[in-house]
Amino acid sequence: MQKNDDLKQKNISADQFEFVQKDEKLYDQELEGRPIGYFEDVWIRFRKNRTNLTASIILLILIVSSIIMPFISGKEYNRIDEKIAFLPPRVPVLEKFGIFDGIVSHEEMPVDLNTYDEATGLYYPMGYNQKAIIEGTLTNSTIPSNEKSPSVLNGQALMVLDYDSNTMTIQSTEFFTLSKANNGILELDVYEMDTASNGKLEVMLQTDFGGEYKVLATIEEPGKHAINVFDLNPDLYADVVSTLRLRYTADAGRSSVAISSISVLESGSETPVFENQGFSLSEYKIVDGKGSYQRQNAEMIVATFEYNKYLAAFDLTREIAFSSAEYDQLIEEAGGNVKKIPNPDNPEGWFFEEGFPIREVIRKNDTVKVDGKEYSSYEVMLDYKTYLGYENLPYFLFGTTSAGRDLFSLVWVGLRTSLLIGLIVTAINVSVGVVYGAISGFYGGVVDILMERFSEIMGRIPWLVVLSIMVVLFDPGIKTLILTLIINGWIGTAGVTRMQFYRYKGREYVLASKTMGAKDGRLIFRHILPNGIGTIITASILSIPGVIFTESALSFLGYGIGHGQSFNFFGLTFSGVSIGVLLSDGRNFLLNYPHLVIFPALIVSILMITFNMFGNALRDAFNPSLRGVE
Amino acid sequence: MIRYVITRIIWIFIIMFTILSLNFTLLKLAPDYAPTTEEERTIYYEKQVRDGYMSFRLITDEAEMEDIRTKNAQGTRLKNAYYEDKGDMIRAYEPIAISKQYFSWLKNLLKWDWGLSTRIEVGKPAFTVLSSRMETTLVLNLIALVFYIPIGLALGIIAALNKDKPIDNFISIAVMVMISVPSFVVMILLVMIFGYRLEWVPTIFPAKDAETLIRLRGLILPVLALSFGAIASLSRLTRAELTEVMTSEFLLLARTKGLTRRQAVIRHAMRNSMVPLVPSIIFSFVGLLSGSVIIEMIYSIPGTGQVYLRALTRNAYDYNVLLSATAFYTVLTLFAILLVDLTYGIIDPRIRMGGR
Repeated sequence: MQKNDDLKQKNISADQFEFVQKDEKLYDQELEGRPIGYFEDVWIRFRKNRTNLTASIILLILIVSSIIMPFISGKEYNRIDEKIAFLPPRVPVLEKFGIFDGIVSHEEMPVDLNTYDEATGLYYPMGYNQKAIIEGTLTNSTIPSNEKSPSVLNGQALMVLDYDSNTMTIQSTEFFTLSKANNGILELDVYEMDTASNGKLEVMLQTDFGGEYKVLATIEEPGKHAINVFDLNPDLYADVVSTLRLRYTADAGRSSVAISSISVLESGSETPVFENQGFSLSEYKIVDGKGSYQRQNAEMIVATFEYNKYLAAFDLTREIAFSSAEYDQLIEEAGGNVKKIPNPDNPEGWFFEEGFPIREVIRKNDTVKVDGKEYSSYEVMLDYKTYLGYENLPYFLFGTTSAGRDLFSLVWVGLRTSLLIGLIVTAINVSVGVVYGAISGFYGGVVDILMERFSEIMGRIPWLVVLSIMVVLFDPGIKTLILTLIINGWIGTAGVTRMQFYRYKGREYVLASKTMGAKDGRLIFRHILPNGIGTIITASILSIPGVIFTESALSFLGYGIGHGQSFNFFGLTFSGVSIGVLLSDGRNFLLNYPHLVIFPALIVSILMITFNMFGNALRDAFNPSLRGVE
Repeated sequence: MIRYVITRIIWIFIIMFTILSLNFTLLKLAPDYAPTTEEERTIYYEKQVRDGYMSFRLITDEAEMEDIRTKNAQGTRLKNAYYEDKGDMIRAYEPIAISKQYFSWLKNLLKWDWGLSTRIEVGKPAFTVLSSRMETTLVLNLIALVFYIPIGLALGIIAALNKDKPIDNFISIAVMVMISVPSFVVMILLVMIFGYRLEWVPTIFPAKDAETLIRLRGLILPVLALSFGAIASLSRLTRAELTEVMTSEFLLLARTKGLTRRQAVIRHAMRNSMVPLVPSIIFSFVGLLSGSVIIEMIYSIPGTGQVYLRALTRNAYDYNVLLSATAFYTVLTLFAILLVDLTYGIIDPRIRMGGR
């Protein structure tokens, strides 16, 4: 195509040429289009870079969000409420796809053996709200466990002698009652016995109430052994009521015996009237000799299920001490619309209608008098959702923290604090740096050398030194944080300003102005500084992310702001939460609640990335020659 | 050249001296935190007297004793002073003027006496507390240094040779992300993902007596987190230097005289662009070192950074350890700066001749 055009242009015949403007006279023409100013030029260059423009827009969104999001999220993020702590993220729309739906899965949680469900044949987990378990996800399984806990079932109790011991005695915690009338028989089921070392198990009871323990039988091999107490001791005249002692003796240490169960049988009854096995057997205490008493081959029923934490958190909750002041206030707010409904089962308490935060008063607690004032409280069942003022289950977009505060609001509040500190510190740094650099650069000579040496020493102080001095002298807090950030933060700007002054102070127009009698102040601020302003602005903007980075790092370490602190700035109160603080809080829950770290980390990363890109875009726009450097 | 080297060394020493003196003086202004138990406290104050930081006198005068007792009770006694009340006499330890303390401190430093630790390992010499942890920190940082340099260089070279191609854009974005995300955020995320979720590496730094394999695996995360930012800045610098050289005229000449692109790049471009990188690589060690403080805290690495942070626990400051730790970091930083200055002097004759 190109070649064709070239050929065509080569073979143009002479008559195809014609004169342009042959009959016109040429005059100076007025310039078309308008002149472009410095900042306009900058803006045009800024717009050209699409990636950086996008980054700048994202940055703007972040900044705007940090201001308005805490208000529009509609959550009381300062309220500490343990009942709604650690809620997972829940996001509208996304929850329909099964992510961020506020449901967590729990694996192998111990079950409550009292909650057997006849219909499904399953046990429910202990300490979880049954209503919040997602239907159909509950499964039971057994895992081996030798814990001495009531939820661990079956297995045997194992008596093991120590290395240097050849006897040990255990004693039951409960009393065994053997009735003479019904011919009570003691039955021991010995599962295993170390016969190689001549292991012997002696069964002892107090045949007189409170008397000596008498050996009733000696067991020398595993298996079921029935001990007919009254046959062995025909002279016993009454029932035997006694704790049981078992003494195990063997020739060698580490010898052991495993017992499955100990029961009491009576004639006329098929099943044992009293039985110790599993947990109850494992509760026996060692009373004599040296050895250990453990469980073996036992198992625990555990539940695996999906759990809707939101349903559980906002369900009816029992509040043991609900202050009467708050109670009266709630009643007052409802006006006359709320009716007490008497509770037939509980004369001390009463019900409230649905829709009222308090659903049931169980009882009124005792009144305490302090300084002549009466304080009382109620034990109530709260409808937690209504109590917190939600009509439906709320959406905590980023979940809640360990103190039950809305992480979504907190992240934005923290971002706002971080940004504000970044701005304040940068403003101070730039002001100090510009003045310092201007003086140093403008006067030059000895002044410059001395000031340069000073700023070099200041700039060489490692931040660890600065931090230690500041923390030790002023205690951790917002002031210390700002001081730490500005001690050697201004040096960068000072250097940039000094360079700019060296560049421009020798120019002819400065000399001209000086000849006309301009004072130093005028030369500095009217003639030289405006020329370097672009470079200084970009250097300042580029230093903000660094400040935010250091701020969050220091807050993370606990030397910056922290919970409970707040500071005022032009009448606005800022809370002591910053991204660093949130990350530091979340770090303790990495395993179970990763959302506490992920969201602040994500937001601060996006902020830093976009801020750096914005700074770069600004630098490219102000200073096209520096493009691509660093 | 010799003159340049000597002036630089002297100047660095002046800076070091100033920083350490400043640090000592300002820390002395802060309230004292002596050891907590009675016995250790007596040893500590005896040592303070022997080192020339405090004066000791016995007070037997009834009136003065009464005066000190009331002041003690009111909390208005002399700052940092300690009065041991023995009933019929008071053993008074009182700080002497800071200017005098300063000279005592200098004298002690010449004897390499950094004082005793007051809170971390009570009674142990502060420098021993620190030096027993130096190895861990230095090894960790050197591994990070060795790890990050080749990666950073490689990324920078790839980006420069493929300028404005997709791979360059990709590396640029990656570099921007790596340089922006704070290292402690990276560390937390790495621990969360590889430590807790995937369980590939230990979630805290393994103890010294652990198996070698586990200890090696324990190094992975801190090294990664430390080198993250360093990789990014090195590759950015490499790219900038190399692209500048690539457009230079001598490279064009090299191509014109018949070298292939590969030959020209390796023989001429690379060598020339590598030289300015040397100082920045040396200086990056300082960045790694100060960055490792927070990483050590997150990963419970028993290094100098952790000692520093423990010495800086609120209302339990261990000044002697703090002074030694900050001195350690200051000396390392300034030494790196000296090296950078000297390499600059070697590379660029103009700086050397300036004889700054």
